Amino acid sequence: MQDVKDTSDPRASNKPGGEQQQQQAGGPPQPPQPNPGPSRQQALPYGIVGAGLKEVTRRVPEDEPPPLPENAKLKSIGKPVSRLDGIEKVTGKARYTFDVQLPGMLWAKWVASPHPHARIKSIDTSAAERYPGVRAIHIPERILSTAQLRDPKAEQGNRYPTVRYAGQPVAAVAADTPRAAEAAVKLIKVEYEPLPHVSQLEEAMKENAPRVFPGPTEQPATAGGGGAPPGLPQKGNVRGPDNKPRGMGPRGDVNKGLSESEVVIEAEYRTQVQTHVPMEPHGLVADWKDDGLTLYASTQFVTSVREDAAELFDLPKSKVRVISDFTGGGFGAKYGIGNYGLLAIHLSRKAGAPVRMILDRREEHVSGGNRPNSIQRLKLGAKRDGSLVALQVQAYGTGGVAGGAGVGFCHSTLYECPNVLVEQYDVFTNAGPCAAFRAPGQVQGIFALEQTIDELAERLKMDPLALRGKLDVSGTDDCLARAQERKVGAERAGWNKRRPAGSDKGPIKRGLGFAQSQWLYLVQPSTACEVRVSGDGSVEAFSSTQDIGTGTRTILAQVVAEEFGLRAEDIGSHIGDSRYPMGPASGGSRVTSSLTPAARNAAYRCARELAARLAPVFKANAENIVFADGKVMVKGKAGSAMPFREAVKKAGFEEISQRAERRDDYEGYLFKTPDMALSRHGIGGVQFAEVAVDTETGIVKVERVVAVHDCGRPINPKLTESQIYGGVIQGVSYALYEERHLDAASGQQLNANVDQYKILGSRETPRIEVILLEQLGAQSSTDARGVAEPANVATAAAVANAFYNATGKRIRTLPMTPANVLAALRG
Amino acid sequence: MPFTLTVNGESHALEVEEDTPLLYVLRDELRLNGARYGCGVGQCGACTVLCDGVPLRSCFVPAASLGGRALTTLEGLRAPDGALHPLQRAFLDEQAGQCAYCIPGMVMAAAALLREKPRPSEAEIRTALDANLCRCGSHNRIVRAIQRAAEELAR
Amino acid sequence: MQSFEWVDAESVEHAVSLLGEGSERQPVVAKAGGMDLLDLMKNGVMAPRRVVNIKTIKGLDGVRFDAKQGLELGALVTLARLSREPEVRKRFVALADAAEHAATPQVRNAATMGGNLLQRPRCWYFRYDHFHQAGGDAVERVRSGENQYHAIFDNQRTVMVHASTPATALVAYGASVELTGPGGKTRVVPVSEFLLPPDMKRSTDTSIAPNELLTRVRIPAPAAGTKAAYHKQGERESYDWPICDVAVVLRMEGRTIRQAAIAMGWVAPTPRRAAEAEKLLVGKTLNEELARQVAKAAVNGATPLSKNAYKVPVLEAVVRRTVLAAAAA
Repeated sequence: MQDVKDTSDPRASNKPGGEQQQQQAGGPPQPPQPNPGPSRQQALPYGIVGAGLKEVTRRVPEDEPPPLPENAKLKSIGKPVSRLDGIEKVTGKARYTFDVQLPGMLWAKWVASPHPHARIKSIDTSAAERYPGVRAIHIPERILSTAQLRDPKAEQGNRYPTVRYAGQPVAAVAADTPRAAEAAVKLIKVEYEPLPHVSQLEEAMKENAPRVFPGPTEQPATAGGGGAPPGLPQKGNVRGPDNKPRGMGPRGDVNKGLSESEVVIEAEYRTQVQTHVPMEPHGLVADWKDDGLTLYASTQFVTSVREDAAELFDLPKSKVRVISDFTGGGFGAKYGIGNYGLLAIHLSRKAGAPVRMILDRREEHVSGGNRPNSIQRLKLGAKRDGSLVALQVQAYGTGGVAGGAGVGFCHSTLYECPNVLVEQYDVFTNAGPCAAFRAPGQVQGIFALEQTIDELAERLKMDPLALRGKLDVSGTDDCLARAQERKVGAERAGWNKRRPAGSDKGPIKRGLGFAQSQWLYLVQPSTACEVRVSGDGSVEAFSSTQDIGTGTRTILAQVVAEEFGLRAEDIGSHIGDSRYPMGPASGGSRVTSSLTPAARNAAYRCARELAARLAPVFKANAENIVFADGKVMVKGKAGSAMPFREAVKKAGFEEISQRAERRDDYEGYLFKTPDMALSRHGIGGVQFAEVAVDTETGIVKVERVVAVHDCGRPINPKLTESQIYGGVIQGVSYALYEERHLDAASGQQLNANVDQYKILGSRETPRIEVILLEQLGAQSSTDARGVAEPANVATAAAVANAFYNATGKRIRTLPMTPANVLAALRG
Repeated sequence: MPFTLTVNGESHALEVEEDTPLLYVLRDELRLNGARYGCGVGQCGACTVLCDGVPLRSCFVPAASLGGRALTTLEGLRAPDGALHPLQRAFLDEQAGQCAYCIPGMVMAAAALLREKPRPSEAEIRTALDANLCRCGSHNRIVRAIQRAAEELAR
Repeated sequence: MQSFEWVDAESVEHAVSLLGEGSERQPVVAKAGGMDLLDLMKNGVMAPRRVVNIKTIKGLDGVRFDAKQGLELGALVTLARLSREPEVRKRFVALADAAEHAATPQVRNAATMGGNLLQRPRCWYFRYDHFHQAGGDAVERVRSGENQYHAIFDNQRTVMVHASTPATALVAYGASVELTGPGGKTRVVPVSEFLLPPDMKRSTDTSIAPNELLTRVRIPAPAAGTKAAYHKQGERESYDWPICDVAVVLRMEGRTIRQAAIAMGWVAPTPRRAAEAEKLLVGKTLNEELARQVAKAAVNGATPLSKNAYKVPVLEAVVRRTVLAAAAA
């Protein structure tokens, strides 16, 4: 275990201001000192509870609440509190955007291009306009979510946006009934001039491939992440190379490194296009009124919907309100307003009535977003003692008409290696745009990297676990977590009973494998939270953030309850409305890490103010007023306890309210913008998988997964466990079954449904055992971090490494369908 | 042509086009939002309701063809005094569900199973949930919730 | 989905006469469970003007076994019932198993024997109305496209496979269908002849006439010593269309096989008998080695398409396992 020093940011000390600091080669500008302003030195618990928790001292803001001890000593935080909104969910009362029905609401449908690439010559909506019940029609002038031409002059002469994928919306109708909208949309006459198209990755990479875009493009990141760096060269459909994934630039000299290596492993890996398939499709109800626009959105970031709407419709934000009570799954695809939202708002403005536009399942598959595929060529050089000398990755992938096909950053950050070069390319195809999908890029990258490291271990006749111990040494919080996770997981998974590869004699071969996870620890600095106490003793917390299934309401309530000595059920937890203080995106695994410190700080301040109001009631000093077990009492005076509500009423005020913002992490960040701050620490995770491979039919069954994860301080282990189940299950599903199939000749998606786009069902669910570490990083007033994405990163790699242990053959292509498995077994 | 549907024990006179799937009649006419749209072609199970105690995918069966059948939705599982059905309580106790969009369909499929097989094995439960899709990965807790409810109903 | 008119049929006669009123421009179709029909209508592949509900016809949901006549199934018997019916389980286990593993439990409660045989292919080109409208050579389109789930035998002129998995068992049992036309006239056609290679341009993949109703399925009484097994191999256990399914029916005398029927589904346009493989079994006692040879013979002559070669070894394994399972039953 490493020595833990006082780690107040050395780069920040004694330096006047961030802007003057030198730019590191290949890295972003240094951020300013964290939490400028009055501060104090504070002793904080640091480390993994139960595995060497120590104390460190850091500089914290003067008015920061006292540090929380480990969860065992807390009453609400760290407890498996039942979801506060469980009852609505289990009685069908939960209102998803799909359920929103407003008086006079119109139903919208769009007509989409049947051609994968075309110029639109004309659009005749006259017959549709005359159809009974039709109240508005809109033809979009721009298409969202795709890459944009760097030089728009290339297509300036076109009257309509160029169609670049089959399924791209062309026009939309709002009508009194869904039936009328569907019928009217069929009457819209579009004249297309089909253009040559290219649907497949390798075809699109060829020099003479039809061009998806007539010139170089940009793909800015959306609120959900993804996107590709600006200004990269583009040749035909191939854009790149990007050699700074997540700003982590190349280092050293890979060619020299490889030539000096004693062992070189080279391999090519292929992964497939995966679609998100949230059970509730994307959608939005737009209500354009004179005094403002109200949007009900199935979204994972209320703020992004408001921002898009304000920007695209030139509205002040004060006139845009976004409401999202419950979102039926997002997984990265539901940021911003999307084309469906853009159309709904236009139609609502034109019709003067609320308009509902919700995608159907086909539309969701085709246009709602996807995880790009990848072809990754890895070259790894190492010494005989296992230490890495060089790692070179060349990766291509297609995100359709959008960029963002990177393969993660693990190559630069996970293992110690002096020479690293990653070159990743976006390849455009005439297919639906990609969108961030649960750990974008990293799932693909870890699939290849973790198998390559296992291959190295085999070559060197080293235990793959031991090799990780040698290489995973950065000393960051995730590195320390993984060391513990390997240990704990290996024991639970029975690693010492692991047999040599291909041990089973019969056709069914079983094996055990593992893989490591690394994801970003992100914070959304612009997060704030308000806590109010009403004169009758009600306590409420407010954040605009949404809940896509993670249990946001509940963790918010738990953190606030802790400060007031109440139970989470006692707290009115209000989320999902842009009128509340700005909350974080449900993405980048950042809700808990961003929201809970702000919520705690607001609750702490509110509790202190309440204490001041209660001091005269109890005839004591405010510092001695204590909230615990639903009561208020004076420290040291056993008989003074009074039930909370009773005490508050006696204080005789109407309402007190405190708002707090998310402070910087005490150590600061690698870089920071108002939307996103990136810690130098990541989030870890290690997963072990047991598989059974039927070598005659090529069927792979994942029988058991042991998932050992860290998420900083777990606020609610029951919720965290859910997330991990979710990540593992999506990971197994991705590893074994899912694949978007396009017909190359027509550019159509053939399995835009849920019977032939195969996701894992109850009969394929493995036994999943979750072990959760409590790791206190001494960075914030709650030290909570995320887990949603880390839980998804390692699974496919763990299954693949288990496959190798079972059969003695590597499977380098996903998904592990019988076709791919039988090919791997033959190879 | 008007027709009558019996939903959760109540009779409703309806006048919608004959081919309107039951799902939209339940949601748009009767404001029963438990049954949900996930795919529109009966493949995902989010729209599952009970028809004479047997699970039915309401998203593509014309409502008009179900006159005279006893339809039960999630809302109808609750007792008249508002008490939750043991399945609903079990789903809460096991914390089964994340985004929970699939949960009404799961509960209804489970209700039908327990009516037919009061003591199902785990394999039988998983088979009964075949083609009830959950994207958030709550499968194992859903199975445990059903086992829990079965135990309680058996008492 | 287009608007349509719904009529409840009162009798076979009534249904047949309504069906006879249909035309290409105003199609009239029969609906039993509606599982396939409604799916096709939702996809825009079918747009009937009138749907005749035949679930209201009495007397078409019987299951009768007679030692001489064999098994008689009404066309409206559901797959769920078929899988549980004692006479079917006892004497025609391959059919019971096929019914048990078809589709999903919820579909099986509604899907009928007749509807199952009359369903259209699951081919994803077929199920997307875009390709119906696009015109052109449907077979070539699949042949040069995504043909992972298509035929590996007899695929020169057509590549789609018939979707019914109970059909595989019915073919192995030598079953027939009874069709009723105007005036109550019936005719009986072996299932193996009734099913036609699926074709996008036709409105049915069977030899049923537009004014006929499928009323019964008949399976001859099994001879003494009959043993059978069935296996459907999907890519996953959950509801999935099969890579292949195999039904094996053996007539044994002691441990010697006197007669063998091996039917393979989802690998040819219609369920295919592995004739050469069957011959290898006759007069022999089964052992692992023979089973291996039989399986090899069963896949002999496969002409896979660009993306479905994997079906060959999978089919070989499933044939071998099912033959062994049948003999051991």
